[in-house]
Amino acid sequence: MKQIYRILKISALTLFTLLAFQTTVLAQEEATQDTTVQETPKERPVRPAFESGLLFDAATTTLQPSKTLEFILQHRFGYINNADNFFGIWGASNIRVGLNYSVLDNLTVGVGATKNKRIQDLQVKYRVLEQTRSNSIPVTVMLYGVTGIEGGDKALWDQSAGAGNYKFSNRMSYFGQLNVSRRFNDNLSLQVGGSFTHYNCVDSVYNHDRAALSFAGRYKISPQGALIVAGDFPLDIESLKDFKKDADVNTIIYDKPNLSIGFEITTSTHAFQIYLQSAQGILPQEDIMWNDKDFFKKGGFLIGFNLTRLWNF
Amino acid sequence: MKTSIKLAAIICTAILFVTANMAMAQKAGGPWTIPANYKAKKSTVKAGDASINSIGKETYNKHCKSCHGAKGLGDGPKAASMKTSTGDFSTAKFQAQTDGELYYMSFIGRNEMPNFEKKILDEADRWAVIGYIRTMKK
Repeated sequence: MKQIYRILKISALTLFTLLAFQTTVLAQEEATQDTTVQETPKERPVRPAFESGLLFDAATTTLQPSKTLEFILQHRFGYINNADNFFGIWGASNIRVGLNYSVLDNLTVGVGATKNKRIQDLQVKYRVLEQTRSNSIPVTVMLYGVTGIEGGDKALWDQSAGAGNYKFSNRMSYFGQLNVSRRFNDNLSLQVGGSFTHYNCVDSVYNHDRAALSFAGRYKISPQGALIVAGDFPLDIESLKDFKKDADVNTIIYDKPNLSIGFEITTSTHAFQIYLQSAQGILPQEDIMWNDKDFFKKGGFLIGFNLTRLWNF
Repeated sequence: MKTSIKLAAIICTAILFVTANMAMAQKAGGPWTIPANYKAKKSTVKAGDASINSIGKETYNKHCKSCHGAKGLGDGPKAASMKTSTGDFSTAKFQAQTDGELYYMSFIGRNEMPNFEKKILDEADRWAVIGYIRTMKK
């Protein structure tokens, strides 16, 4: 428990430092403008590093302008293996539908529902810094948070099997991430992120917390198409563990990285992504916490696709 | 009897065909009413600027090509389903319009031509698109 408080404290301090840094930069710009007679030219932000705010299951630093509504459909087919499931298309799928709304140019909120585990989610994205064309700010920095509320019968969430220890909060899971991206040129953009995942209630042999590093990249290969890659790598941090890996030989170890590679096509109002991916969870905390599939082994990946549609108001 | 059924079928088919074609026929867009402040706008991107073939072309491909076509001939895949003709950017008549007029028509829009102010946020990027449309002149 102490470890959680320590991590929360560090995260809060980092966030505070970033916000303070942003305020300082703005304050300096204003002071300069006050002391000069001529108006200083406004810093121009670069075009967004990614064409969509969504990349596979990950959030990119791209936010839509204020008063934009985005509809999201994410689909994962079953795993591709030798089973009679036609490349996973006949297999057990997972689907999420979501809606995002841009409250401000740098603040987006969202809701969604996922088929597997009947998870409902609330999301928030806040852009702290935006990369500029003059390179005075070399990167875009974004904070991303997801709260998951798992459905299912109350008995599933009663920690003492029907003895009245049900709490609604047992259903909750949390994901917080700091992302930094850079658009290097017209074709190449990269993103790196650090995240912390917490589940309020897990099976007795699993851990409640996990930290992870994530990477994402986009390389434009045609006028409207791009190659996209991403990876979430869970970190093996002893102090975050409630249980050791070798606690029980029969326990499934969920510690595999979630790797994704695919192709993206974007138009004025749509983004379409089709790809191979190792995790089927869709929500980032699910992919990071509960992936036991190795992308490079048989049956280790599935076909997925995303569709997004934008409306400006 | 059989002949009259055949005749009726032919007439019905002909009526359907004519009606469908009438519905598909596109009308040319009427004259635009462009406010004076837009008419007077001057491009900040000079002809031959490097951004025209990078940012301008990329942005055109993303937002405009599906209706106006890769070369601005009005033959994009969505053009046929429009009630109004999407026009031909290569003609001398189209290119004779001022930068400000093209800016208004391209980014403010009207009716079937959507507003792109929230999709192309940067002013210089918009002018790069106009610069790219200028390269489509025959």
